[in-house]
Amino acid sequence: MAAASGLKPILKGLSFALVGLLIGAGLGLLFTSLTNRPSTEPVIVLGYVFALLGWLLGVGLWDAWGREWVGLPVQGEAGHDWRRFFRFTTDHKIIGVQYLVTFVVVMLLAGIASVLMRVELMAPGKNILGPNEFNTTMSLHGIMMIAVAVATIIGGFANFLLPLMIGADDVAFPRINALSYWIIPPVAVLLLLTPFFGGFDSGWTAYPPLSVINAHGQLLFLLAFLTFGVSSILGGLNFLTTIIKLRAPGMTWGRLPIFVWSIFAAALISLTATQFVAYGLLMIILDRVVGMSFFRASEGGNPLLYEHIFWFYSHPAVYIMILPAFGIALEVLTHFSRKPLFAYKWVVGAFLGIVGLSFIVWAHHLYTSGMPNSLHIPFMVTTELISIPTGVVFLAALGTIWMGRLWLTTPMLFAIAFVFNFLIGGVTGIFLADVPTDIQLQDNYFVVAHFHYTIMGGEIFAIMAGLYYWFPKVTGRMYHEKLGKVHFWSMFLTYNVTFLAMFWAGIQGMNRRVADYIPDLAGINLFVSIASFFLAASFLILVYNLVRSWARGTVASASPWRARTLEWQTSSPPPLENFPHPPVVVGHPYDYGVPGSVHAAPAPVGGGSEDER
Amino acid sequence: MNRHALIVLLLWLLLAVVGEFLVVRLAPGMFPVVAAEEGEIVDNAFTFLMILAVPVLAFVLATLLYSLASFRSRGTPSQDGPPIHTNRPVLFVWFLATIGLTALMIVHPGITGMRELADRADREPDLVVKVETMRFGWRITYPEQKINTFQELVLPVGKHVRFEVTSLDVLHAFWVPAFRMKIDAVPGMVTTVHATPNRTGGFQNDPNFRLQCAELCGIGHSVMQVPVRVVEQKEFDAWAAQQSKLARRSN
Repeated sequence: MAAASGLKPILKGLSFALVGLLIGAGLGLLFTSLTNRPSTEPVIVLGYVFALLGWLLGVGLWDAWGREWVGLPVQGEAGHDWRRFFRFTTDHKIIGVQYLVTFVVVMLLAGIASVLMRVELMAPGKNILGPNEFNTTMSLHGIMMIAVAVATIIGGFANFLLPLMIGADDVAFPRINALSYWIIPPVAVLLLLTPFFGGFDSGWTAYPPLSVINAHGQLLFLLAFLTFGVSSILGGLNFLTTIIKLRAPGMTWGRLPIFVWSIFAAALISLTATQFVAYGLLMIILDRVVGMSFFRASEGGNPLLYEHIFWFYSHPAVYIMILPAFGIALEVLTHFSRKPLFAYKWVVGAFLGIVGLSFIVWAHHLYTSGMPNSLHIPFMVTTELISIPTGVVFLAALGTIWMGRLWLTTPMLFAIAFVFNFLIGGVTGIFLADVPTDIQLQDNYFVVAHFHYTIMGGEIFAIMAGLYYWFPKVTGRMYHEKLGKVHFWSMFLTYNVTFLAMFWAGIQGMNRRVADYIPDLAGINLFVSIASFFLAASFLILVYNLVRSWARGTVASASPWRARTLEWQTSSPPPLENFPHPPVVVGHPYDYGVPGSVHAAPAPVGGGSEDER
Repeated sequence: MNRHALIVLLLWLLLAVVGEFLVVRLAPGMFPVVAAEEGEIVDNAFTFLMILAVPVLAFVLATLLYSLASFRSRGTPSQDGPPIHTNRPVLFVWFLATIGLTALMIVHPGITGMRELADRADREPDLVVKVETMRFGWRITYPEQKINTFQELVLPVGKHVRFEVTSLDVLHAFWVPAFRMKIDAVPGMVTTVHATPNRTGGFQNDPNFRLQCAELCGIGHSVMQVPVRVVEQKEFDAWAAQQSKLARRSN
């Protein structure tokens, strides 16, 4: 009974979605009966759009917005038990937890997909997956991990922590924040349904013409990606506004914690670049559903056009993933070295430089696409220029731990491993930015190993650092330190063995996105597969530690790391209003070792934090 | 210069020397067989980038390892580190090094390698081969010899070949690992790629002599490959004559 009442918003959302689905499908049938076109895909599109609207209205949009708009009394916030996590609430801390838990689960699901792929690749020939099942598994692994990489830090960590770190009581648009989260479950449902609609074999890149002519599963993928894009755009808008408008008195731009700057930079990209991929996906949907021919060469379309539109988003998107990871890593390195962040202002400059450059490098994905050769040199130059701001981030990391008092807790170990892994990711990126070498390496396992070094070795390791670092703040309990270290060492070692071997497979001519390969590559693939199983197993330690510690870890103090930033100057977990007394910022967050320095003080009586709004 | 910096410098030099030694010794043996002039340019660029990468990797590794060994605190640190906010000379040297390295790798092997490839591509081809891709096969046409085949790609050694590639359905990519050359096959467009095979060989003896699809094209993507055979001109002529005889007979 209690469970049913706790899940009421979700059940209401589902029933509204069902009504929407029927209305949309009916409209789809009506339209197609008039135009004589095949009805399946129009029915899917309209059915989904109306089901999505129904879901959102049912789960909370109506209660949070609709009732107020038509003058009905608005219902109050959800209480304090577990039920609040299953509701359309506007508290950024609850939304942060909703994002974190959701995307850790998605990460584990996508990890299972990768294990299935590695089982298939253990030996040449068919093992457990047919080619279409392999392609669908590979594509699902890709898009789910992309979603994890885009949304875990911005949606999860930034939601929970960014308002705390700037001394605000919530984000700028709390209801849009809830909307950005609740629009994501339909994305997961669509993706998990794709295997029942013939799967989709285009990878997460969805290059046409393949993505225009394949099974209906592709359409579900396109709708899912488009919906997820809406969530990213809204999230970007929300965090930019929050950082610009809601900083506590005294929190000048020069005193922002580096994590906040990294979210600012990533949100700039998220708000602007995501719109391009949305148009690209929409154009494929229109090609499929109503027979337009943006990308059908036989009817005057151009498949290369999509590749440009897609990478015009998707290259900047890798910085949506990695900039916040830089932020977490530098944050953790600073606090656990007990030293100021080295060259803080240069790092901020580097972040903004990376944002600028990220928009003019996309065609380095297209050296072998058939675009004019005259474009090779400009894109090689812009791409390799990114080494310079990225180098500043490395200098800051090394300069910060230099002469520090290194406290090697689990988050610190993950942050240091981030520096090592991302170094390998960055250096191997040069081989792919360089045109002569890329001609051979493009679309082979060298690329796979490279981007896993940047996104998994880089960002996922930073996410691990963040999970352990902020675990006491979010849950109010400490994680198990010994288990954390066991998790770190097992993950760090198996990760590097797995993916270093993949570079070798690539050099030996293993091409990517294949279910089968020549027998000569059997040895290296068996090696990678076995290493990857150990890597997968290391995540079980993480899950056990998180679940166990959340349930019955030792109770955490407000500031177990004695870190200076504002999120540690309130209780763990923080109260609904974040700070009992709105803080006033009076100094730099990273002035470790500076005698008498203070980052923030509680507001004087009658203090004016409200004036800022 | 303080003691810490001096040790890191020595550790860096040591790691860099060992690393460079390994690269120079191991690089020639790490690549699969190369059977085209263009492929050698690619492998040389790869080797040079490894040589450039070693000191960078060695520096970060030396600094990290030394810091972990000598700055770690046993348990919770009781005091803060020195409040170093920044250091102008270090920043200056760092920018000089990163800008210098970036400029170097843009010029060489980037621009020089592309120039070398472009110079070869500009040569008058000795042989033109048209390649049409479709799910999941290759139609290989020799216009001058008036033959076409779906079975294998046969090329004469020492001849500069221009491949004119297109697709009849979705995106594919023309890739011969032993040549290190790759270009997408795009519907509605003809793309070109060049190779000058300089070593005879075939798929039977070395699987890197294969024409492999390198752009995801659907269910048969992984098996979309045909053997490549590089033979002496005489043998090529004999094969071409036999193929055209077969074609006439079947007509």
